[in-house]
Amino acid sequence: MTRRVLARRVARKLGVAALLLAVPVGSARAQSLLDRMRQAASIARTLLPISTEKEIEIGRNIAATIAGRFPVSTDMALTRYVTLVGLTVASQGPRPDIVYRFAVLETPIVNAYAAPGGYIFITRGSLALIQNEAELAGVLAHEVGHVNRRHVIEGIRKSDTMREVRNAVDIQGATLDAVVGTGTNALFTGLSRGDELEADSLGLEYAAGAGYDPGGLAAFVHRLDQHAGEGPVSEFFATHPKPDERVERLTAIAQREGLTGGVTLAERYRANVMK
Amino acid sequence: MTRAAAVRRVAGALALAAALPGRAAAQKAQWTDVVYVPGFWSAGRIAPRPDSLALVMRVDYFSAPPQWRAEIRRTTDGQTLGNPDILVGSGTQAVVVTPLGTTPLEQHALGNDPLVRALVVFDQTGRPKGPAAGRITERGADGSVTRVVYRRQVQNPDFDTRLLDPGNRAGGRTLLASGITRVGDQRSASVVATAGARGVDRVKTPGGDVPVTPDPAAVARMEHFAVGSVALEGFMRAGGLGPYAAAGDSTGRHP
Repeated sequence: MTRRVLARRVARKLGVAALLLAVPVGSARAQSLLDRMRQAASIARTLLPISTEKEIEIGRNIAATIAGRFPVSTDMALTRYVTLVGLTVASQGPRPDIVYRFAVLETPIVNAYAAPGGYIFITRGSLALIQNEAELAGVLAHEVGHVNRRHVIEGIRKSDTMREVRNAVDIQGATLDAVVGTGTNALFTGLSRGDELEADSLGLEYAAGAGYDPGGLAAFVHRLDQHAGEGPVSEFFATHPKPDERVERLTAIAQREGLTGGVTLAERYRANVMK
Repeated sequence: MTRAAAVRRVAGALALAAALPGRAAAQKAQWTDVVYVPGFWSAGRIAPRPDSLALVMRVDYFSAPPQWRAEIRRTTDGQTLGNPDILVGSGTQAVVVTPLGTTPLEQHALGNDPLVRALVVFDQTGRPKGPAAGRITERGADGSVTRVVYRRQVQNPDFDTRLLDPGNRAGGRTLLASGITRVGDQRSASVVATAGARGVDRVKTPGGDVPVTPDPAAVARMEHFAVGSVALEGFMRAGGLGPYAAAGDSTGRHP
């Protein structure tokens, strides 16, 4: 997000909050005023700045919870390969303040997760369905998009967990635990449809910008659709928008932006993942 | 020329450039050059071999004519890319941004390196010279290859042009380039100071709540793992990715 866009968004939110408080009310409407103040406070919470350092601290704890649910692979050759693909697409993103980390989760469940601060996970189940490096790049780039747009952090800022937080420094101890719980639940139960579609757009942009076939992510999502109803992919369907909608949108974006060509690197993928 | 006089000269050139009409409409450009020389890295030195290329630096350029900026990451061992050196300039004039201010390139140690001097790829109006993208091969008088550059444009560049201003001392050391090369090398040893105090959590999943015991040690391993920036360059080059995408021939002109 550019500074100008951010400034406009902040100004809009401040304006809404001010309007809510400025409307004159009579004493008989004390409850109504209270409601308005709550609303204004809720809006103000979304303005609370969370620094990159705090974002990483929150993300590190969420990552630890993800790694607690599914074991992290100790196959360092595979981790190295996934990291190289991930860094290649992450280099297209606009966040030099983030150090991206990639890991493989040992589970047949098909999914990927992006904790704030650059901690990105992909499951063995996903790697088994992916057929080439461009598809892997598309999936990882989608996750990088979530990190770069701070989707989980923004979700946390709007949540009730932040009700008592007046300063990001307050996010520690029990409050940090609650914030981490909110963020982890959001990752495991699904981010908003808008966040997912935005991450799709960014993933397409990053993967194509790195030189990969821009159809990689759409091809993977389309393949998932063919496996609908199977156990390992059920969580994916429960946490993401409908595949046909995503494929249609990704295809439209690629056409509109004139994204063609790129490499798929199927052989390299097979050599590193299907060994 | 004294250093003060040289700084005044660069400042004068910048002031003149600022007064030129059309500056506000200067078109932004951003690209990456990955620079190789013939040979291969052996025991921290480049040994000659004509059929092999050794990586020497990666340069991220930011241009808004007449001003420009180059963030240079060099390797001295063929294993890792070092911390960035920063050049900012106007037209053909360049200064090195140091922690204390700026020093004209010709008076800085970097100016003694012909590979660094070759990075000033701008004409007097600050417009970049040469092809916009692709593999650029430079040859000496005898026809032998002296330098190979893989160039890749960034689409829709979006950067703060104030960081192209040598007078911006506060922001001069702020990096514009993605931290990707830094990322490739970065390890963190003190990683779990804040992750580890929590016990069993219950987390929500589409299939219902499940108990989870956080594993901060796994995160520590993630943070300690690094692939190396030079390895990342090699990976991209082997796959024809990043600056090496469609690098068969140089194409187009800079905007």
